[in-house]
Amino acid sequence: MSNIVNVARMQLINKWTFLGIPMIILVSSTGLTIAIWAMIPKQDGVTTLVSGSGQAVMWYFLALGIQSLTYTFPFSQAMSVSRRTFYLGTLGLFAAIALGFAILYYVLGLVETATNGWGMGGQLFALGWIAENNAAIQVLFYFVLMVLLFMIGFWFATIYLRWKTTGMLVTWIGLGLLLIAFIGFLSLNKMWMDFWGWVGGFTVPGLLLGLGGLCVLLAAGSYLTLRRATT
Amino acid sequence: MNENMTPAIEVRNLVKSYKDVEALDDITLSLAANRIYGLLGRNGAGKTTLMSILTGQGYATSGQALIFGTNPYEHDETLSRICFIRESQRYPDDFTATQAFKAAAMFFKNWDHELAQRLCTEFALPLKRRIKKLSRGQLSAVGVVIGMASRAEITFFDEPYLGLDAVARQIFYDRLIEDYAQHPRTIVLSSHLIDEIANLLEHVVVIDKGKIMLDEDAETLRGSAVAVMGNAQKVADFIDGYEVLHRDALGSLAAVTIKARLTETQRQMAAELGLELSAVPLQQLVVRTTLAEATKETTPDSLEALK
Repeated sequence: MSNIVNVARMQLINKWTFLGIPMIILVSSTGLTIAIWAMIPKQDGVTTLVSGSGQAVMWYFLALGIQSLTYTFPFSQAMSVSRRTFYLGTLGLFAAIALGFAILYYVLGLVETATNGWGMGGQLFALGWIAENNAAIQVLFYFVLMVLLFMIGFWFATIYLRWKTTGMLVTWIGLGLLLIAFIGFLSLNKMWMDFWGWVGGFTVPGLLLGLGGLCVLLAAGSYLTLRRATT
Repeated sequence: MNENMTPAIEVRNLVKSYKDVEALDDITLSLAANRIYGLLGRNGAGKTTLMSILTGQGYATSGQALIFGTNPYEHDETLSRICFIRESQRYPDDFTATQAFKAAAMFFKNWDHELAQRLCTEFALPLKRRIKKLSRGQLSAVGVVIGMASRAEITFFDEPYLGLDAVARQIFYDRLIEDYAQHPRTIVLSSHLIDEIANLLEHVVVIDKGKIMLDEDAETLRGSAVAVMGNAQKVADFIDGYEVLHRDALGSLAAVTIKARLTETQRQMAAELGLELSAVPLQQLVVRTTLAEATKETTPDSLEALK
C-alpha cells in the first residue's frame, strides 16, 4: 500500500507534469478566449458567446496518459515496483487530479454564470446542456471525460510498450476496420437517421454511464496489457 | 525453510525463447547470499535477459527463478529486496539525477543518502542537469549510485562501467568493496570485461548462448589451471594426460595451459626439466574454459574469444 502512494509521489516529483502544465493551459486558454471575445464586436442579436477552449486541458490529459507510462514505467521497474503497484499508484494519482480539475471546472462554471459569462455573455465552462444538471452530475461528467482521455493515452502507450510498432499497426488498423464496418452497417441498412436520433437523445447521466463503462474497460485492458509488458 | 539456508538466487531449468532464438536455454543455478558474483559472457549471451527475469522485470518461457525462495514477478515484498538498474535504464523524461535519487530513497528502505552524495561528488556528477542530457559515463554513474546507495539485499549491476573513465571505474570498484565489507549483501556484476573486475569476484558464472558454461568459486578457478612454458618436447611430456585448455607454439618453444592442480613434486619436476609454470589470469581461464566447453559441443562459431 505504501508503495502505491510512493508511486504517486514519484509521479509528482516533477510538479510541472501533473500540476503546473495543466494549470498553465487552463489559465492561458481561458485568458486567450476572453481576450478574443473582448476584441471581436458583438453582432446584433447574439447574446451568448460559446467557446470550446475549456477542453484544452482535457486533451493534455491524453498526452499525460502516454507520458506517465512511457517515461515513468521503466523507471518504476528499476525502483523494484511491481506493475500492479505502478498501475494503481499512477491511476490513483490521476483520478485524484482529474477530480480536482472536475471540481475546478464546476466552480468556474458557477463563477461564469454569476459574472454573466465573464461580463461578456460567454460560455466556457457552464455549457448549457451540462450546466442544467445538478452539481454531482456536472463534476462527475468532467471527471469521467478526463479519466477517459487519460485512459486512452495510457492504454495506447501500454500497447506500444508491449508490442511496439506491430501493436500500434494492428490496433489502428483494427479500429479503422471496426469504424468502416460500423459506417457500412448503418449505410447499408439506411439507419443514419436512427443513429443521429439515438445520439441526440443522449442525456448527461446516460452519457456518463456509457463513458464511465468505457473508462472501466480501458482501465482493465491497460492492466492486462501492462501485466506482461517489459521495458 | 530457514532464510539463511535459502539461496539468494535460485534458478531451475529456466528457458526464455524468442521467436527464433533461445535467449536462455535450460539454466540451473544456485547462488548463496552475501557474496560477490561475476556474471560473465559475451554481448548477447543472455546476461541481461537472466537478470531481467531474476528481478521480475521480464518473465520466463518456462522454468523457475526464485529470489530467497520466492518468485519475484509482481511480488512487491520480494522485489523490494532487489535493485537492478539496466545498462540502458530509462528515466522520466525531465528528471534530474537529484530527482531520481529522491525517488530511489522512497522505494529502497536501506537507502543511504550520504553514500549517494559522496559518490556523486567523486563521480563529479552534475546533479541539476536533466538525465537525458548526461553523457554515457554520467548516465552509468547515476545507475551505479542508485545501485550502491540502495543497499538492496541483492544488487545487480548491468555493465556498470560503460562510458566511465578509468578513474571513475576505479572509484566504483573501491567503493563497492568498502561498502560491501561494511554491509555484506549479494552483488551480481554483469560484465564482458573480466580482467578489470576479476579481483572483486568471489564466484564466477559464465554464460554463453543462453547456457551456463562455468559456475565456479573464483579461488578454486584461479588454482584450477596452470600455464607450462618451455621446450616443446619437454612440455608435451610434462602435460601428458592433462586436459589442454590452450596451446601456443613458437619454434621449439611451447606454452600450454592445462587444467591441473599441480603437487609440490610435480612443480619440482617441472623446475628440473627447465619448464616455467605460471598462474593463469581469471580472464584467460574463463575464455579458455568457455572455449574448451564450446569445442566439446562442436559449436565452432563460439570459438571467438569472450572479449
